[in-house]
Amino acid sequence: MAKLSLMFDEKTVKEVPVGSRPVSIGRSPDNDLPVDNLAVSNYHARVYFEGGRLVVEDLDSLNGTFVNDLRVERATLHDGDSIWIGKHHIKVDASGDAPVPWDTGRKASAPRINETMVLDTKARRDMLQQAAASGERMQFASGRLKVPTLVVLGGRTDQKEYMITNKLTVIGKSAMATVKLKGWFKPAMAAQINQRDDGYYIGPGDKMPLVNGKPITGPVRLNDGDVIEVGGARMNFVYRE
Amino acid sequence: MRIVSGGMTDLGRVRTNNEDCFRIVEPLNLFVLSDGMGGEAHGEVASELAVETIVKFCMDPQADAGGALLSNPEPSWSEKTRRLTSAVHLANKNIYEAAEAHPEQHGMGATLTAAWIDGSRLSIAHVGDSRAYLLRGGTLQQLTSDHSLVAEQVRRGILTAAEAEESEMQSVLLRALGALPEIEIDAEEHTLFARDILMLCCDGLTRMVTEPEIAGTLQAEPDPTRAAEKLIALANERGGVDNITVIIVRVGSESRGWFSWLRRGARKKAAGNGTAGGL
Repeated sequence: MAKLSLMFDEKTVKEVPVGSRPVSIGRSPDNDLPVDNLAVSNYHARVYFEGGRLVVEDLDSLNGTFVNDLRVERATLHDGDSIWIGKHHIKVDASGDAPVPWDTGRKASAPRINETMVLDTKARRDMLQQAAASGERMQFASGRLKVPTLVVLGGRTDQKEYMITNKLTVIGKSAMATVKLKGWFKPAMAAQINQRDDGYYIGPGDKMPLVNGKPITGPVRLNDGDVIEVGGARMNFVYRE
Repeated sequence: MRIVSGGMTDLGRVRTNNEDCFRIVEPLNLFVLSDGMGGEAHGEVASELAVETIVKFCMDPQADAGGALLSNPEPSWSEKTRRLTSAVHLANKNIYEAAEAHPEQHGMGATLTAAWIDGSRLSIAHVGDSRAYLLRGGTLQQLTSDHSLVAEQVRRGILTAAEAEESEMQSVLLRALGALPEIEIDAEEHTLFARDILMLCCDGLTRMVTEPEIAGTLQAEPDPTRAAEKLIALANERGGVDNITVIIVRVGSESRGWFSWLRRGARKKAAGNGTAGGL
């Protein structure tokens, strides 16, 4: 089973296992892993399993959660990672790994393949079909294509509406930005919206954008209807059919 | 755009030969990386043939740039994107034909990830499971999609990302250069901004080193060659089960800006390191 060890001055202060329930971390004593330090928020972060991955999520803490020196909003944890909260750090032992409901029979029957190989078209079709038949979690795209759109609610921009058609979209004063901010002292690249496999994520540029009024420090997935504020502009992120 | 770049390749800790190949063509701002496969020494042959073919084609102004090699060129593509994609088609053809002509080389193939920067425009051509990443404003974004069985299963919701990392089928590719006479290539264009960092790497890095670690190293080490060295060292610390190859490209700003003197001290230091280490 995965385990979190709270360290201070290289000494282990407390250890907690991560099971199917999230482990809460914070200054308040009712947390699963209480950290008594003024730099730590009452409910600072939590660690839990999601689809077999061990994930740390910052709970809008004042001073932030860091994984191996990088400030994160949400991050996948790996064995040996360190989560830093204030002056404390939490060692991640993911060696036991998750309660993963995974078909072990299939794993055992698959040969260990060290050499890279390419599947020909037929083998690839068969393999994907076979995997789909036994995988059960096949997702089907919804019937209609939905186009992510930014609708400008306030502030000065060169258009009132932007369809997001590229993988990388930049909001800023730069002539090359997709969403151009107008006016004095606007940052060249205020923020960015990037397409990933599971949706669109907004990330900071020279500015820290607000999403639904909350500042974001790392990439955050955008949901239909979210309000983005950056560089004096307010925009609504919506999926249009 | 001022471009500073560096790259490194390493055998790793387990393999006895390096089947990776990379090339940085500074005057063109062309970056090509390939990871070969196919027993004996044939993976090396394939990756080298891929890189050679692409570099030669892109450098030759007489080479077909109109896209006669492309069956369906995207009308919006720039000349560089068309040329790069044509070059990858040609590389596929060359590897396939070499394998047909030499029975002992049958089954050899290679991944290919190439980037060409023209002004602020970035062209990417990609086949296989090597990757191109862009670090912008502290966010690391994977630009390419892996053409591997497990990545496809994740996209279809059959596997989770964690299950994919554990899978023993990670080395099974759906597309690679040299496997078939015709190939589908992912090509795309992006606009680059000052302070962007582009990284091309093979799976020998991404299987050993996490994305937050990559982002952290790219941010902490301004010299591209030294950053590549550090990432390779980290992959080796974790076991280095495969060859590791990394190319790092840093985009500097064109103009100094009105208030640049305020930050000049810090910039000068970063720029000095960059030029000294660039290949």
